[in-house]
Amino acid sequence: MHPLFSQPARLALYFGVWLLFGALLAGVLAISHQTPIAWALQFALPQTTLLGVLSLSTWYLVRALPASETPMSRLLGTWFGAAVVLLAIWLSIALLWGRWLAQGLALPALQDTAQRLAPLLVFVGAIGLLLAVLGHYMLAAFDRSRRAETRSLELQVHAREAELKSLRSQLDPHFLFNSLNSVAALIGSDAIAARRMCLLLAAFCRKSISLGRETSIRFSQELELTETFLGIEAVRFGERLNPRFDIAEETRNLSVPPLVLQPLVENAIHHGIAHLLSGGEVFIGARQREHLLELIVENPFDPEAPKSRGAGVGINNVRARIDTLYGHRASIEVDSRNERFRVTLLMPATLMPTAAPAVPVT
Amino acid sequence: MRILIVDDETLARAYLVEQLAGVAGAEVVGQAANGFEAVKLVDELSPDLVLLDIQMPKLSGFEVLELLGERAPAVIFVTAYDEFALRAFEVHAVDYLLKPVEPPRLKSALERADARLRNGAALPASAQSTQALIAATRPPGARLDRVLIREESKVLVLPVEKLDYIEAQDDYLWFNADGKRHRKQQTMSDLETQLDPTRFVRIHRSYLLNIDRLSRLELYSKDSWLAILTSGAHLPVSRAGHARLKELIS
Repeated sequence: MHPLFSQPARLALYFGVWLLFGALLAGVLAISHQTPIAWALQFALPQTTLLGVLSLSTWYLVRALPASETPMSRLLGTWFGAAVVLLAIWLSIALLWGRWLAQGLALPALQDTAQRLAPLLVFVGAIGLLLAVLGHYMLAAFDRSRRAETRSLELQVHAREAELKSLRSQLDPHFLFNSLNSVAALIGSDAIAARRMCLLLAAFCRKSISLGRETSIRFSQELELTETFLGIEAVRFGERLNPRFDIAEETRNLSVPPLVLQPLVENAIHHGIAHLLSGGEVFIGARQREHLLELIVENPFDPEAPKSRGAGVGINNVRARIDTLYGHRASIEVDSRNERFRVTLLMPATLMPTAAPAVPVT
Repeated sequence: MRILIVDDETLARAYLVEQLAGVAGAEVVGQAANGFEAVKLVDELSPDLVLLDIQMPKLSGFEVLELLGERAPAVIFVTAYDEFALRAFEVHAVDYLLKPVEPPRLKSALERADARLRNGAALPASAQSTQALIAATRPPGARLDRVLIREESKVLVLPVEKLDYIEAQDDYLWFNADGKRHRKQQTMSDLETQLDPTRFVRIHRSYLLNIDRLSRLELYSKDSWLAILTSGAHLPVSRAGHARLKELIS
């Protein structure tokens, strides 16, 4: 539907302008063709109003032919055709109306005057139509920019929500209580190790909170967070957890969204290693492939293990965030074959500006 | 009281051993690091009480309890955090402890277990109530994805997609898979409610069929049919079973 119909005030203004245009036309007729002003007004006002109604239909063409995306030849051709049709309709009605008016007012002399007005009417009609089309294009542009604004606001909200969710999942109660249980156990047998575990837990909480607030961080910071997390889990899982890193040097200074690697490692442990009697290796790889940063997390898993609660939540969380941030320029792929689970994340490789102040992480 | 500790984390076991050392009358007779070991050690050691972790590799604490069946000693579950399980424990009045376990709570849980053992009112829980408990600990909407069967000292894990059909006989169910059949003590209606109803259909009072295995139906007599399976086996189909089959297929 035409946007004006939903806004009565604007619709009134629209027709007000057309009536003003009609009054102007009546004035021109009275002066240049010496027609009686009463006839001129009765002739011109309804006709410009009619032209206003006809012009409303151009909105649909404006929408179908966006000025920036349509070839100029097609644009001009279509509009020329549309103008000829609209003007022809309008002119025939206007001339009939002029004749009928002249008869009604018993001014037979004016019947011929109406015919002679045709060229002037075509000129005036063309100008009116042109202004209406330009007006509609402006309206369309305004509409589009407002829509884009709404969309970008929505994206921001989604990004923030996803961040919050991922933050919440960091401090997963299961992880927290199990870690505290390890501390309680260590205090009796190895006080130094218990203290180390407390410090690791504190560092992990602090880092995930402070990094989670940023929009982008240095990849080396994300690696540190991941190592801290692995340090905590190593206490719990002991020899069952065997991490292996293969990090290309040049990736350390790349900029990444926070909490993009650690949740994948968490996933690898809780849904992979934890279900295996003798555990296994968690491989964490990072390298640059042309303009992309490739992150790989791979772990063995037990295909017969019952689906554990929350499986896939971590990966979906990361996916939602990189989707919002990079759209189709990033991807996350999951491959589970031969009892190995592999997540491959690709995203644009952008260097972290060196001048930027480092985020405090300790 | 002779106690078996079951937990996959060394530290978690060490903590319980340490705490139990301070409780008079409590004797730790063994430790198991996974469900298979737990099942084996219960047989070998016949403890009075098992402190049973829930989340473990291969077999969960619930599955261990199910496998122990009537031989199960008194059980106290130990978990870090499991909102569904906790709700189920409340409903079924099962004793549980939260990690890290607080010593006074451990002591009172042991006292309760001891009192029940003395009264002879202790577990073993019946197979039925164990099944009900396990069903209640599953998140809403989640279906059974594997069946555990104990044969002698072996534990068999059968993924449900490998099942052809299940036949009821007295108090037992026969699970047919890969041309073999395995016996388990369970009721048909109990199993039926846990399986995915779009995959398993009760074609007869005594038969539950994996719909993927159905090859064709033959009219046998008025109001009764025969289901011919892809393996060639013939199963009777009752009138009600035929209606359920038709509803599922159409």
